[in-house]
Amino acid sequence: MSPTIPVRAIVRPRRRGLLREGELRWRLLLLAVIAVLLLVWEAAVSWLGLVPAVFLPPPTAVLSSFGELVVRGDFWSGFAFSLGNLAVGVVLAVVIGVVVGLAVGWFPVLRFTVAPFLWLLYSTPKVALAPLFILVLGLGSESKIALVFLLAVFPIILNTMEGALTVGGSLVNAGRVFGARGVALGAKVILPGTLPFSLVGIQRGAALGFTGEVLGEFLGGSGGLGHMLERAAFDFKMDQALAIVIVMIAIASLTLALIGALRRRLAPWYDDRATVRVS
Amino acid sequence: MSALFARQEARRARGAAAFIAGLSPRGRAGLVAVEVLVVLALWQFLVGTLRLVNPVFLPPPLDIVNGFGELLATGTLGQNLAVSAGSWFTGYALALLIGIPLGLLMGSSLPVDRVVGPIAWTIYAAPSVAYQPLSKAWFGFGTGPVIFLVAISAVFPILFNIAAGMRTTNPSLVRAARVYGASRLDLYRKVFLPSTVPFLFAGLRQAAVLATIGMMVAELTGSSTGIGAVIIRSANTYQTDQSFAAIMIVVVWSIAMTQLVGVAERILAPWNRRKGVGR
Repeated sequence: MSPTIPVRAIVRPRRRGLLREGELRWRLLLLAVIAVLLLVWEAAVSWLGLVPAVFLPPPTAVLSSFGELVVRGDFWSGFAFSLGNLAVGVVLAVVIGVVVGLAVGWFPVLRFTVAPFLWLLYSTPKVALAPLFILVLGLGSESKIALVFLLAVFPIILNTMEGALTVGGSLVNAGRVFGARGVALGAKVILPGTLPFSLVGIQRGAALGFTGEVLGEFLGGSGGLGHMLERAAFDFKMDQALAIVIVMIAIASLTLALIGALRRRLAPWYDDRATVRVS
Repeated sequence: MSALFARQEARRARGAAAFIAGLSPRGRAGLVAVEVLVVLALWQFLVGTLRLVNPVFLPPPLDIVNGFGELLATGTLGQNLAVSAGSWFTGYALALLIGIPLGLLMGSSLPVDRVVGPIAWTIYAAPSVAYQPLSKAWFGFGTGPVIFLVAISAVFPILFNIAAGMRTTNPSLVRAARVYGASRLDLYRKVFLPSTVPFLFAGLRQAAVLATIGMMVAELTGSSTGIGAVIIRSANTYQTDQSFAAIMIVVVWSIAMTQLVGVAERILAPWNRRKGVGR
C-alpha cells in the first residue's frame, strides 16, 4: 500500500479533472435513459394503449396534475402539516438520541446493561405499534410526532453509541491533559469525534421518521400529504396519486442530501465508508 | 465536596462495569434475561396492580399472555400468520429474483451501474409506505399489495450490496485469475462470486428486516388478513392485549427471519465475515 500513496498524491489534480468530465458524460447518459423511459411509458399508455391510463396514467397526465396540485391551498397546508410533524419528531429524536447514545457509549455500566435492550428495541419492527399510537394519542399531530420520534430515535442512539466507542483513548487523554473534564470533555472531544456517526444515524432516522409520518397519516386523521395520497388513490385519481408520490420522493431525497451535505461540511475529514452503517 | 463525590461515583461505576466485563458471554446473557424479567415484573406491578396507566393503552404482561391465548384458541393466529408468512416469502423470493441479477449486472458493467444506480437510490430514498396506496389501487385488497411492498422493500438492499461486493473485488485476485488462464465464466464463478457472497448476506439480512416492515405497513393499511390486520382490528375494538400479543409475534418473526439468513450463511458460506453497505 505505502508506495502507492505518493504516486496518487502527485497524480490527483489531473485525475480529478478527468473524473469530472467523465461524471458529466454519465449524467448525460442518465438523463437520456430517463427521457427514453418516459417516452416509452407515454407511448405505451396514451399512444398504443397497452396499459389502461386509469391504472398507470402517462407522464404528461402526471405532470399536468402536478401543476394543478401546486396551486391548491390544501396541498400546501398538507405539505406544511407533514413536514412540521416530521421536523418536530426528528429534532426531538436527535436531541434525545445523541444524549442517550453518548451516555451509553461512554459509560461502561450503561453499555453493559442498557445497550442490549436498545439493540433489541432497535431490531424490532416498531411500525407494528402505529395503531396503538393512534389509539392512545388521537388523530391529531401528537400521534404522528410520537411515531416519527419512535422510529427515528433508535438509529441515532445506536450509531452515536458505536461512534462514541471509536473515540481514541489518546484523544481523550490529550483533552484531559489540557484540563477538559466532565461536560467539557464530552462537548469538546467526544461529541466532535462521534459526530459523523451520529449524522449517519440521523440520516437513517429521518428516512424512517418519514415512514412513521406517512403511516400515521394513513391510519388516522385528515391532514398531511399521506392522507391526500390515500384519498387520491381511493378515488382512483392515479395521476394525482403519482404526483404526490413524486413530491414525497423529492422530500425524502432532499432531506437525505441535506444531511449528507451537513456531514461533509461538519466532518470533512471523515471517510464515508469508515462509518458504521447500522441499517 | 461534590468533586469528591463524583470521583467516588466513578470508581463505583468502574467496579460494576469491571464485574460485568468479567462475566462470561453466558453470564452476560443471563444478566440481560434478569433485566428483562425485572422490567416485566415492574410493568405488571405498575399497570396491573397500581393501575398507574390505563391498562387498555398499555396492558400488563399477564394480560398480553392472556390475549395470546385468546388469539390461539380462536384460530385467528394460525390463519393470519400463515397468510403473512406466505406474502413475506413470496415477496422476498421476488426481491431475490430481481435483485440478484440486477445487482450482478450493476456490479459488472459500469454504464448499467451509473444509470440504474441513481434511479434505484431515488426509489429507495422514499419510504416504501408511499407506494402503498398505488399498490392497493393496482393489486386490489388481497395479498397482492402486501407482496408488492415486501418485494420493493427488500430488493434494494440486495441490489446495492451485490453491486458493491462486485466492485470491491480485489483487483489483484482478478489479475491473478487471468494470469492462470481463467475464462470469463471461471472469473465470475471462482473470483467474483466468492468475494461478493459476504455482501450478499449482509444485504439479505437488511432485506429481511425491511421486508418485515414492508409487510407490516401493507397489512396495517388496508388488508383484511395477516398479522397486521389482526393488530389493527384488535386495536380498533380496544382489545389491546391481543394487539400486543400480535405485535410480539411480529417481533419474533423479524428476529427469526434475520436468524434464518444467518443460518443460511453459516451453511452456504462458512468462511464469511460480516461486511456490507447500506444506509
